[in-house]
Amino acid sequence: MDDLLTVILQDTYTLSQFKKRLKILQSYFQQQFFRSLATENLTPRDSQWFKSLPKSFMESFNKDNLSQNLSSLNSKINSTPILTVYLPIDVSDEALDQIGSKVRNLFGENFLLDVKYNPNLIAGCALTWKGIYKDYSLHSRIGERKLAILQSFKKFLR
Amino acid sequence: MPDIPLVPVALTASIIAGITSLLYLREFFLRKKNARLQQKISLETRQKSIQILNAAEMAETHVISEGNYATQKLISEFKVQLADLMQNSEKSLDSSQEELVKFLAELQRKSEQFQQASSGAIEKRVNQMFEKLESRLADFLVTTEQKTTSSIELELKAARNLIETYKDQQLKLIDENIIAMMEQTLNIVLAKKLSLKDQLDLVYEALEKAKVEKFVA
Repeated sequence: MDDLLTVILQDTYTLSQFKKRLKILQSYFQQQFFRSLATENLTPRDSQWFKSLPKSFMESFNKDNLSQNLSSLNSKINSTPILTVYLPIDVSDEALDQIGSKVRNLFGENFLLDVKYNPNLIAGCALTWKGIYKDYSLHSRIGERKLAILQSFKKFLR
Repeated sequence: MPDIPLVPVALTASIIAGITSLLYLREFFLRKKNARLQQKISLETRQKSIQILNAAEMAETHVISEGNYATQKLISEFKVQLADLMQNSEKSLDSSQEELVKFLAELQRKSEQFQQASSGAIEKRVNQMFEKLESRLADFLVTTEQKTTSSIELELKAARNLIETYKDQQLKLIDENIIAMMEQTLNIVLAKKLSLKDQLDLVYEALEKAKVEKFVA
């Protein structure tokens, strides 16, 4: 089971990506095993990811264990560490992959990001880890140096 | 109807007539005798009455004369006693009048003394009251002045504090506005000027800082 999760997380960096890809797998296997008509729309990136999955991974699923494996993956993801990242801009999936890759380099494998958008941050990012919020953005830096900025600003007013 | 013999009847009738005549005569003489006796008694009674009246008149005259004498005597005694009484009363009245005059004079004297004493006491009391009033008024004025001064000072201090607070609040608001304006400007400018690479570099920098601070363990 851990192998399945490791394979999925290999190129999946965000929680939304993970959920979407789990749905893609579910949709695919239901079509394969139960001739279900429900299909998931795939983006080129998702198609690429789907094709990149190893054969052994695909063979791990069958009619009997599909439901169990999917629900197990769902429950596993709940115990996976999730780092919430607040970004000031809406970035592309590629950029998100880069950020995810950086996070895993810095903090360890199997990290998932929950990305949220907050334009007030200006630049940089803010993080929430285990319920604690910390702002590392430019907005926070301006707040820290507020007095110095105001004093230098007021020099121009005089 | 049986036949009644006429003789015995006539006889009986004549006897009855005779007896009746005798009784009549007897009554006639008796009444005549009584009338004479009554006349005699009446005469005697009148004589005795006249005697009694005469005696009564004499007694009355005696009594009246004695009464007149006693009355005259009493009147004269009464006059003497009355004169004495009047004389005594006049004397007593005179002495009483003198005593009353003396008493009134004494009363007037005492009243004047009391009036003088009381007017002096009243004057003294009034003076004391005025002095006390002046001193209290002066104290009150001083206290009021002090209170008013301290109250005004407090008001001024409160007003100055209020102004300072308002000034600080306004300056703080201006500072906040300056920062907000600067942030907005930066937001607009950096969104246009910063490339994705720069943005990502700043995100990486933030993540590395979190790593250094051991925020994410």
